[in-house]
Amino acid sequence: MALDPLSAALKIAASGLGVQSERLRVVSENLANAQSTGNTPGADPYQRKTVTFATALDRDNGGSFVRVQSVDLDRSEFPIEYLPSHQAADDGGFVKMPNVNPIIEMADMREANRSYDANLQVIKQARQLISMTIDLLRSQT
Amino acid sequence: MQPVSLFDLAAQQARWLSVRQSAVAGNIANINTPGYQAIDVVPFEQVLDSAKLAFAPSRTGHIPLGAGRETFNLRQDAIETTSPSGNSVTVEQELVKAGEVRHAFELNTAIVKSFHRMMMMATRG
Repeated sequence: MALDPLSAALKIAASGLGVQSERLRVVSENLANAQSTGNTPGADPYQRKTVTFATALDRDNGGSFVRVQSVDLDRSEFPIEYLPSHQAADDGGFVKMPNVNPIIEMADMREANRSYDANLQVIKQARQLISMTIDLLRSQT
Repeated sequence: MQPVSLFDLAAQQARWLSVRQSAVAGNIANINTPGYQAIDVVPFEQVLDSAKLAFAPSRTGHIPLGAGRETFNLRQDAIETTSPSGNSVTVEQELVKAGEVRHAFELNTAIVKSFHRMMMMATRG
């Protein structure tokens, strides 16, 4: 049973809300672990996570939904700090820090925020369109 | 039969508008999907041109008015700007589209409402 387009619009926007909140979760994970180093000498610290999206076509509902394709690890270099007394310091006294850049995370968070907003607006409008249609049946004197 | 034809036309446009709204929803949901191409519905004028709004002879007791529950074709939106990720959605454009849908829908329901009122007036006398 095919969904009517307005309910499909609601569902699609809801899928958009879902992936953007997933993205926000990954951002908060990265930010929270921005200083998480390893425990043993020379150990790798927390590795930044990235999230990618993909379009999911739904033939029944006829729409391009969105889903989280995968949460991957950022393979960029770890910055190194000289902290000889740190428990994760190697022989030279260097500690690998997580490859998390708070500024990038903030920009990512903002973008997730705005995309979430846009999806919310779509839901709001689809609801208004539905209630306008229902209003046709109401208050006919 | 004029008002009936109008209701049919209005219903068709309402259906077209809801399809467009779901296209906008799809675009906005996929705003961060790499390689996603924005979509739109073919303009309503084109739908009207291709649809047969005249009576068509068919089986007895069957009076088709306007096009039936046809599906509206989606096409790729003509947007030149593509982000480095290959995504061609711009929020502003989508919000403008959503605004257009809203206005048209409001007009549509208002017209149907007033026609319905007129028909009620005629039947009640």
